[in-house]
Formats: sequence, structure tokens, C-alpha cells
Amino acid sequence: MTLLLPDLLLLLLAAIVMAVDLIRIRPLSTVSFHLSWAGLLIIFLVLIVLPYDQETIYLGTYKVNGTALLFKQVFVLSAFCTVLLSGSYFTPGGNARGLLRYRSEFCFIILLCTFGMFAAVSATDLLTLFIGMELATIPLYILSGYQKEDSLSVEASTKYIIMGSLSTGFLLFGYSFLYGCAGSLSFEAILAFAQSAPADPLLRLGVLFVMAAIGFKLTIFPFHMWAPDVYDGSPTPVTAFISVSSKAVAIAFLLILVYGPLAPLHKYLQPLLLILAGATMTVGNLGALKQKRLRRFMAYSSIAQAGYIIMAMAGGAEAARSSIIYYLFVYAAANYAIFFIISIAGRDGNEEFKSLQGMGRRNPVLAAVLMLTLFSLGGIPPLAGFMGKFLLFASAAQQGFYSMVIFAALNSTVSLYYYLLLVKEAYILQPATSSRPLVTDRIQRAALLLLTSAIIFLGLMPLFSSNILAVVR
Amino acid sequence: MNGPFLLTLIWIIPFVVALACLLVPHDNHRLMKLFSLVGNLINLGLVILLTLKFINVAGIAPAGSDSSASIFHFAYKTPWFKIMNIEYNIGVDAISVLMMLLTAIVIFCGILASWEVKQQAKEFFILLNVLVAGVYGVFVSIDLFVLFMFYEIAVLPMYLLIGLWGTGRKEYAAMKLVLMLVAGSAFILAGILGLYFESGISTFDLALLSQVRFSDSFQYWAFPVIFLGFGVLGAIFPFHTWSPDGHASAPTAVSMLHAGVLMKLGGYGCLRVGMYLLPEGAQVWMGFFLVLVTINVLYGAFGALRQTDLKYITAYSSVSHCGLVLFGFTAMTFTGLKGGVLQMISHGLMTALFFCLIGMIYGRTHTRTVSEMGGLMKVMPFLSVAFVIVGFAGLGLPSLSGFVAEANIFVGSFANTAAINRVCTVLAVLSIVVTAVYVLRAVNALVNGPIAPKFSLLTDATALEKVPVSILLFCLFGMGIMPGWIIELVNGAIKPIFNNLSR
Repeated sequence: MTLLLPDLLLLLLAAIVMAVDLIRIRPLSTVSFHLSWAGLLIIFLVLIVLPYDQETIYLGTYKVNGTALLFKQVFVLSAFCTVLLSGSYFTPGGNARGLLRYRSEFCFIILLCTFGMFAAVSATDLLTLFIGMELATIPLYILSGYQKEDSLSVEASTKYIIMGSLSTGFLLFGYSFLYGCAGSLSFEAILAFAQSAPADPLLRLGVLFVMAAIGFKLTIFPFHMWAPDVYDGSPTPVTAFISVSSKAVAIAFLLILVYGPLAPLHKYLQPLLLILAGATMTVGNLGALKQKRLRRFMAYSSIAQAGYIIMAMAGGAEAARSSIIYYLFVYAAANYAIFFIISIAGRDGNEEFKSLQGMGRRNPVLAAVLMLTLFSLGGIPPLAGFMGKFLLFASAAQQGFYSMVIFAALNSTVSLYYYLLLVKEAYILQPATSSRPLVTDRIQRAALLLLTSAIIFLGLMPLFSSNILAVVR
Repeated sequence: MNGPFLLTLIWIIPFVVALACLLVPHDNHRLMKLFSLVGNLINLGLVILLTLKFINVAGIAPAGSDSSASIFHFAYKTPWFKIMNIEYNIGVDAISVLMMLLTAIVIFCGILASWEVKQQAKEFFILLNVLVAGVYGVFVSIDLFVLFMFYEIAVLPMYLLIGLWGTGRKEYAAMKLVLMLVAGSAFILAGILGLYFESGISTFDLALLSQVRFSDSFQYWAFPVIFLGFGVLGAIFPFHTWSPDGHASAPTAVSMLHAGVLMKLGGYGCLRVGMYLLPEGAQVWMGFFLVLVTINVLYGAFGALRQTDLKYITAYSSVSHCGLVLFGFTAMTFTGLKGGVLQMISHGLMTALFFCLIGMIYGRTHTRTVSEMGGLMKVMPFLSVAFVIVGFAGLGLPSLSGFVAEANIFVGSFANTAAINRVCTVLAVLSIVVTAVYVLRAVNALVNGPIAPKFSLLTDATALEKVPVSILLFCLFGMGIMPGWIIELVNGAIKPIFNNLSR
């Protein structure tokens, strides 16, 4: 049962966090907050020491292997950062947009979501996959509307529910075709059917609907429209969580399907994946060019990042899996670093480009962190983002899609333009009115230190990329 | 000190200096400048030591003398990322040693020339040192991944260096420069991934890849991709437009380093990665690129003719002179390749001195418009004489470095019997005349004639300013009068590349 330990601990933690609220001491108690991040840290440590080269199937339906463990690390780290990020939003005076309340419920929902993601990456049949995905998504509808008195937040939540339900409908519709073809929901049966009749039109129709459904969650063009509004309306910690965890689980979902039961269809899926990837990164990059609000900007930036990730799926299983997992870590670290900076610079409630102005003088360390993070997102060496993008591109190049690599790398140049715009705001432009220095609290400093060192060292230390990813199955 | 260790030390020292500057308190500018100066002085010493060692070793075992031996000396490799056989793989041949020597001289002079930087000095010196580390890194690495990585490290600090400390339309120029160069590296990236997967041996090792004969169909698309990718940094037409704006807006030290050394990374990459690894592709595409770089040479010269700003004149002349580097390469003859490499060194020294002097003159007159100046010889004889000399180097006067390089380039290019080469050579030689016109016009307007009353109280260079100018002048004369040892070294390094090209 050792491989199941993280999942069980997570459930236990969620239960405890919720129970703490029942014996409430003060309305602004921080017990659940500290309990959550400490617990998540412990779970992460457990995940690190577990062996990556084993594969165990529990009860015939719950599989744990190296890939699942690495994905779980991403989810746990993401939840950990979200809990830390939410700290200032639950503290009076932490953010002018409005004080969030019901902290233990917030932590509980985050933990529950994370458990759903755990289930999704351990699935061996479509049903578990579905339940995991829904458990990971439905709580996010609640979270995106957490700022109840803010109409933008409510709008975001509504939009998210409608879009999410539509995608669930698509998913189930696609499932019904797959079930009809294979006669079973298990991956093995679908794999067997796909091998025997890869050209079956019903199978392909089913796959198409499943891809469309996952396109919503992964913000693939043309299903990306909801993202900017939801990202902009939700409270910042929730935006960060959606941009990392929700995206990561959708990628895991696609990875499991494309290289698992649908592996025989891979060469038919390649052109589709490449077209989607190219369109997604272009739309994301072009959309980001004109943004003035930071969270909206991050929405488009993460749409573009999704494009690069999808491109890697045109490659072989090994290369795609290791490069995508590596990139998820890198992407998560960079995104959270930026959201922490947004939460610090946007304390007055307006999280806009203007809030960053003069940061080079107001808080040089924070400005340096912002610059490193943006360069990492833009793929500049020696930062982690460079290595990540290099591996993603290599995965596509391995199959001979060199023109796609050039297209993606040029797209990445466009993205560098708007990341440099932020650097320009922080370093070159000065605010019109004299502004106060940017203050950070202890948690924010610690988290930024952690994320920055990840951004710097993940790209330089071979330990992670070669030793761990090499044994992943 | 053994060779590989020396190589590693050379690119690490600037990083260490950058980290040291990070720890210095914000207002202690003097200490930061001192750190940078001492660090780069040590590096200059190390590079000279390396050159001496290299001359020794190359004399005993000429590169490429037996076919199995690597052309790189002081080679050392150790696995870095097992995931794609990426290795920390270093070594040098004569071209890289000479380029490192150039880098060391230029950056040392550049630090001295930026002694007056006051605004946010900390960030300035950190970025400058990171930039230098990247440049050294490119020259020492044999592994294509590592080379590409250092190449990008060398490009990015430019954004802030120009954007923060530049003049004129600095934000526009900085953004344009960085984006164009990064777009160029998008092509390089696809090219080196292609080399990795198509070689069949899954390696980024230049020495191993040079033994592989790539399929023609691959070479036909990969060569132009790589050549253009690196060519952007070498300011190849029509991707040269970043250069005038970028160089004119950058602060003195950055212009010196960028025009002097960074642009050479482009030529270096074209030669080392493009022509060395993909010779058949080079054969097919050379006519096309020859036409492009001939346009470069002429367009740069005529462009300089129309400018009134000293920095723009020098920047356009850089486009023309860097065009000559690639012009030498596209000749595809031994002498032409040699001339190209010599031009890289010669132009590096010359343009660094140009920008250095312009920076000093601008610091006094606060204008760079040629027509507003005049008679400066009366008040600043040292700077004026230096300016005259570097102008002569630019138009290729014998006994100065420019002559050695240009003579080789034109002779080498004319030696190629193809009609297009002959025609292009004749056209490109015209650029010398045009160069003489714009250089002499600028020099004349600057140092002769009546002096404006507001400039009559200006002073000549201080002792501190005379140091970098003297060093660079010495090198210009040294290379012009005694080019023998450099040519001998370059000959040894060109041979394996030329052998590959003519196989």
C-alpha cells in the first residue's frame, strides 16, 4: 500500500482541515491555512521518496506508476503554492479588491480538487478518468466565484460553469462512442479495439469529441475563449490554481489517452495535434500582445504555453512524456512566481501593468525575480524554461516536424516581446506619481525564494531531468 | 594550469564577477568597477596565457594533421544531461582562441570606457559581465546545445543594457535588436535539432558531427536555415536593420562589445556550424548568399555616406565590414575563408576603438552630429589623432589591420572562378572607395576647420581614457605590421573546414 500513501494522506488532510472548522476558535483563524500547507509539504516529501520505476495496480482499477507520481508532485506543489498565495487575500488589508472569507472551506476545496487530479492520473478506465476530472473541475466553479460581492468574479464563475458543463457533455458523448466500439470502458479493451480497427469511423468520432472536451480544459484553440474572462474575474489564487493545476490535469488526461489506449491512432492524431498546437500558440501570443491587465495577460500567455505542450505530443511516447512532465514543473514554478508578484504589486486591487512600474527601484530584488521568471517563460537560457522548451521542441523534431519547430520557436519570439514589455514596465518606465515601496511578508518571500531557485536550478541541474525522467514509464 | 581548466575558468570568471557585484552595496560604484576591472584583467591575462599555450601545442600537433584527431585542442567533455546526450564539451581551435583574445581586449577597454556610468551602476556591471561570460562560452563550447545556450545568454542582457542606459530611441532599438536576434536563433534551434536527429548518432558534439555525411536533401534545407539564423547576428542583408539602431542607441561599452565581438558570433557560427558541418548545402546555396552579402557590403557603405550622426556612420560601416566577413566565407576558397576570419578580428578591434572614441567625444561635446563639430584637433589632439588612425584602418590603409583582412578577402574571392564571384568581387571592391569617402568626410569635418566657440574650452582625454585607446591602437598596428603569427594560426584552423568544403 505504500504507493497509495500520498492519496490516503491527502484525503485525511482534507478531512482534518474541514473538521478543524467545526471547532472554530476565531473567525479569522489561520489554523487550517498552516495545516494545509504543512500537510501538502509532507505529502510532497512522501511522493519524492517513493520509487519511480514500479507499477502497481490496486483493486484492478487504480494504477500508480512513475508518471502518475510525477504528475502528483506537480499537483501537490501547485496546491501548496495556491494555499500560500491565498494567505494575503484572507488577511484584512491584504488586498484592496476585498477580503476573502471561509478560509478552511477554501483550503478544503483545493485539497479535494487535488485529490480528483490524483484519481485522474491513476485511472485505468475511462470512468475513473471521468470522475477524477470532474472532481478536479467542479470545485473550481465554486472557487472562481469566491469573491461573492464582486460582479466580475460571479461572471467568471457563471461562464466557467456553462463552458465546463458543455465540455463535460462532449466528453460523455465521446465516451459513448468509445464504449460502443470497444464494449468496455477499460483502457485495455479500447487499446485492443484501436489496434484491430484503427480506421473505424465511430472510434475516430469518439476521439474527436473527447479531444474537443479536453480542448476546453486545456484552452486549446478554438475552445480557449472562456479563459481570459475566467482568469480575470476569479480571485488571484484561484486564477493561479486554474492556470497550473487544471491545465496540468488536462494534459495528463491527454497524455494518458494518446499514449495509452489510443496509441495505435497516434499517427492519425499527429497532424491534428500539430494544427491545434500551432493555432493555439499563435492565438495566445497574438492575444497577449495588447493586454493591460495582468491576469488577463497571464491567461493568454498560458494559452500559448499550452500550444507548446500540445506540440510535444506529436513526438514519440518517451520523449513526449518526459519533456511534458519536465515542462509542467517549469511552467508551474514560473506561473506561481508571477502570481505571487501580482499579489504583491497589485495590493491596491488593480492588478494592471501599471502596478509594476518603477519596480526596479522600489524593490530591486522583486524586479529581478520578475525578470528571471519572465525570461524563463520566454525560454531564455540558462533558466529552466529554456531547457523545458528545448525538450518540447526536440520531441516534435524527433519525428521530423522541423518546420513546426521553426514555427513554434518564432512564436516563442513573439512571446518574448510581450514578456519584455513587462520587464520594461518594471525596469524602464517610472510611475507618474511617487509610490510607496513594495512590501512583502515572510510567506511571500519564502515562496518566491523557493520558486526562483527552482527556475534557476531546474535548468542547470541534470539530476532531475536525466535521472528521474529516464526511468519514468 | 591545464588547458580545459583554463577554458572553464575563462568563462566562469565573468559570472563570478557578476555575482560579486550582486553582493556589493548599491551606492558603492567604485568597488563594483574595481571588481569588473580586476576580473577582466585577470581574464585578459588568462587568455594571453591560453594563446601562448595554444601556439605551443598547435606547433607540435597541427590541427587535422591526422584525420581521426579532433581539430580542437584542450578538449574535455563530461555528460551533463543524459536525456539528450548533452555534454559539457569544451575545446578550442585557432579561430576561437583569437576571438577570445579579441573579446578579452575589447571588454577590458570597454570597462575602462564605462568608468563614468553612475545610474544604476550595479545592474549595469552585472549585465555586462553576464554578457561577456556568454560570449566566452560560445567560443569555448564544442557541444551545439551548450553553444546555443551561451549564444542566447549573450543576446538577452542587451535588452536592458540598451533600454536602461542607452540614448535616443533606446526602447525601440533594444526591443528590435533582441527580437530580431532571438528570431534568428529560432532558426538555429531547428537547425541543431535537425543535426542531432538526422546524424543518426544522436549527439551534439561538433567534432563527431563533422565526421558525419548528412544526406543532401537534409543539407539543402538545413544549411540556409542555420546560415541565416547565425547570419542575423552577423547583420546579413535584409536582416541587418537591428544593427544601426541598436548600436547607435547603446551606451559606449555595449556598442564596443556588441559591434566588436557579438556580431562576430554570427560569422563564427556560420563558419563553425553551417559551413563546417553542411558543406554540400554550402556549395548549393553559396551563390545566393554571395549576392546577399554583396548587397550588405555596398548598402552598408552607401548607408554610411548618408548619415550625419557619428554613431550611425560607424554602425552602417559595421554592416558593410561585417558583410565583408561573410563575403570572405562565401568565396569558398582557402584565402577567402582566411580573410573572413582576419576581418572578424580586425573589425572587432577597429569598431571597438571607433565606438570608444565616439563615446569620449560625445561625453565632451554632447552632440554626435558631424556638422556641428569641427576643429577638435586644437582642443583634443590625442582623441583626434586616434580617430584619424582608426578611420584609416577602416578604409584599409596598409600597415593597419584592415588592409591585411581585406586584401585576403578580395584576393580569395576573385580566385573563385565562377562568374558570379568575379562580378560580385568587382562590385564589392567599390565599397573601399565609398568607405574612403565617408571616413575621410567624417574625419575632416570632425578634426579640421574652425572650432565652435562653445567647444574651445574642452579638454583632451584623461590618463584613464588614454589607456583603452592606446591598447586598441597598439593592437591595430600590431596586427597590421606583424600579421604573420595570426595568419599562421588561422591557416591551421581553416584547413579542416576547407577540407570538408572541398570533399
